[in-house]
Amino acid sequence: MIDPTIAWSVGVLIALLLAVCGVAAWRRRTQLESVITDTKLKLEHVQRQFERFVPADVVEKLTEGRGDYTPSRRRVTMLFADLRGFTALADRLDPSVTLKILNGYFERMNEAIVRHHGHVNELIGDGLLALFGAFEPNPWQGRDAVLAALEMRAALARYNDELRAQSLPEIRFGVGIHTGEVVAGVIGAGQLNKFSVTGDPINVASRVEGLTRDHKVDLLITDEVRSALDPRFRLRAMPAAEVRGKREPIVTYHVEGIEAPADR
Amino acid sequence: MAQLLNEIPWEMPLLPPAGDTAWEAIVKKRVGQVSEVDRRVASNPWIRQVCLDITSFRPFAMPMRLVSIGAMVTAQENSCRYCYGANRAFLKILGYSEAFIGRIERDMYLAELDEKDRAFIAFCRNLARSRPRPAKSDRDALVALGFSPLAVQEIALLIACGCFFNRIGVLIASPPEQGFERFANGPIGRLIGLIGPLTRKLMALKQQGPAGEVAPMTELTRGPFGAIVGTLFGLPSAILARQALDAAFASPILPKVTKALMFAVAARTLECRASEAEAARVLAEEGFAPAEIESALTTLDSPRLSRRDARLLPWVRNTVYYQTGRLQGETKALAAEIGDQVLLEAIGTAALANAIIRLAMLLE
Repeated sequence: MIDPTIAWSVGVLIALLLAVCGVAAWRRRTQLESVITDTKLKLEHVQRQFERFVPADVVEKLTEGRGDYTPSRRRVTMLFADLRGFTALADRLDPSVTLKILNGYFERMNEAIVRHHGHVNELIGDGLLALFGAFEPNPWQGRDAVLAALEMRAALARYNDELRAQSLPEIRFGVGIHTGEVVAGVIGAGQLNKFSVTGDPINVASRVEGLTRDHKVDLLITDEVRSALDPRFRLRAMPAAEVRGKREPIVTYHVEGIEAPADR
Repeated sequence: MAQLLNEIPWEMPLLPPAGDTAWEAIVKKRVGQVSEVDRRVASNPWIRQVCLDITSFRPFAMPMRLVSIGAMVTAQENSCRYCYGANRAFLKILGYSEAFIGRIERDMYLAELDEKDRAFIAFCRNLARSRPRPAKSDRDALVALGFSPLAVQEIALLIACGCFFNRIGVLIASPPEQGFERFANGPIGRLIGLIGPLTRKLMALKQQGPAGEVAPMTELTRGPFGAIVGTLFGLPSAILARQALDAAFASPILPKVTKALMFAVAARTLECRASEAEAARVLAEEGFAPAEIESALTTLDSPRLSRRDARLLPWVRNTVYYQTGRLQGETKALAAEIGDQVLLEAIGTAALANAIIRLAMLLE
């Protein structure tokens, strides 16, 4: 027969032990929950920053552990914009002034591009590459790119007024737009990876931008882009021109403007 | 990823309260209180009716618990500060803890929920966001997890209703129900939350009462977008979609062709062939040739539209995927051009198009 005092003592001891274990488990759980929440908050922050550069669906796939983001072929419209003679200008200006002019320019161009459903994918020196239809399907990508370019033209004219008023030199740009099927995906190696597109149409868009110098105009589009436009866009055909890397000469059109909607 | 409540930018209201006391009395009688949205859409008969019908939505095949959670998640994905705040506060009143709600809105692993519930929440998010757009396979996946086909239809309808109401909230920039939010988060709200489990049980009991009548298939499929509404056959609330479409297309404030083109533009933005075909059917009945429809969709304009109505096609496209602040700013500029009455009709049409197309996407 066990002494009741001992039985009670053992019982109380076990109850105390269980209570201590319970409290410890509860505290551990709370700590773990707090760690998970903190980690999630950090991940959310990274994800939000990441979504500024990469399509949301790609971010979702990458952050959900499905890191094997499969590249895909997408029909994308590419807009290349490059400043004319800016390198020579930069050599003459104070570096802080150069950057101020350049950043002001990029800010205005980005605004016009985003308003028309595009994304600036790359800034290369004083040039930029914007993509339309790369981040999400966009059946109006050609039209959007041209409307963005027209708005960029207007924004640049206003910016030059501001620069002139501050006795700063004016700037000019050339814009080339082309549509084609590219491979879209996370491109790069080691620490330097980014969502981008690759393929021959990118080269064509770049060459078309280069042709703006030869044709002495500011905005050129290819036949592929022209086919997406309605007659309200005022276009002027340019002579077909040979470009590096292409067997056939490229036919381009200068976009002069867009007619205001007719009174109905 | 979806924004949290305090991250959503929100403009000043675009429309003032209509001051329709007779309508407000009807709303109060039916749902107990008049919301900011009810007040601001009261001048448009069909939009105010649809809003009221959605507010009093009674699930048939889904538990009320999931419906309440799904409504908050949908509002969060649609970045509607108004609906998100109100639904969040409602969950508090139902007794859900701040920690639980926080985990849902952060889309964290929820030990309290089973696999089916988590799949339900993911489906709500994906269909509301539609980027990338869901398809029939997503619907089939829910059925494979054990949801009945009718329950999946009801989930889709629930999300479609959310997409409608959320867009109304966003596009009119309805002021949040701050009084209700404060109440739910205050001491009295917390006290009520303590009896939340009982409240939920009472709501579940009420749900078990006699369901409304199921409309015959012929009634659902007649009229615009009949093939899509027909997929809701078997749900008492299916008639809600039919009545909304009929009333919207019959409303004289915007011409029928303008509305059909707005639906078609939204359908093309979401790459939904089924709803684009339905919109084309409506346009064909109005004398549009296929080439005319294609031209209107390519150029986002049509010579058959007035200059005012042509302005709505590029705008409706922006109501599909949007950043709240930017869209509200754009809608404000539109309001200055077309006036409050036409703006409200356009907002209702855009909201309805987004809702109906979300139902249709699950057919393909």
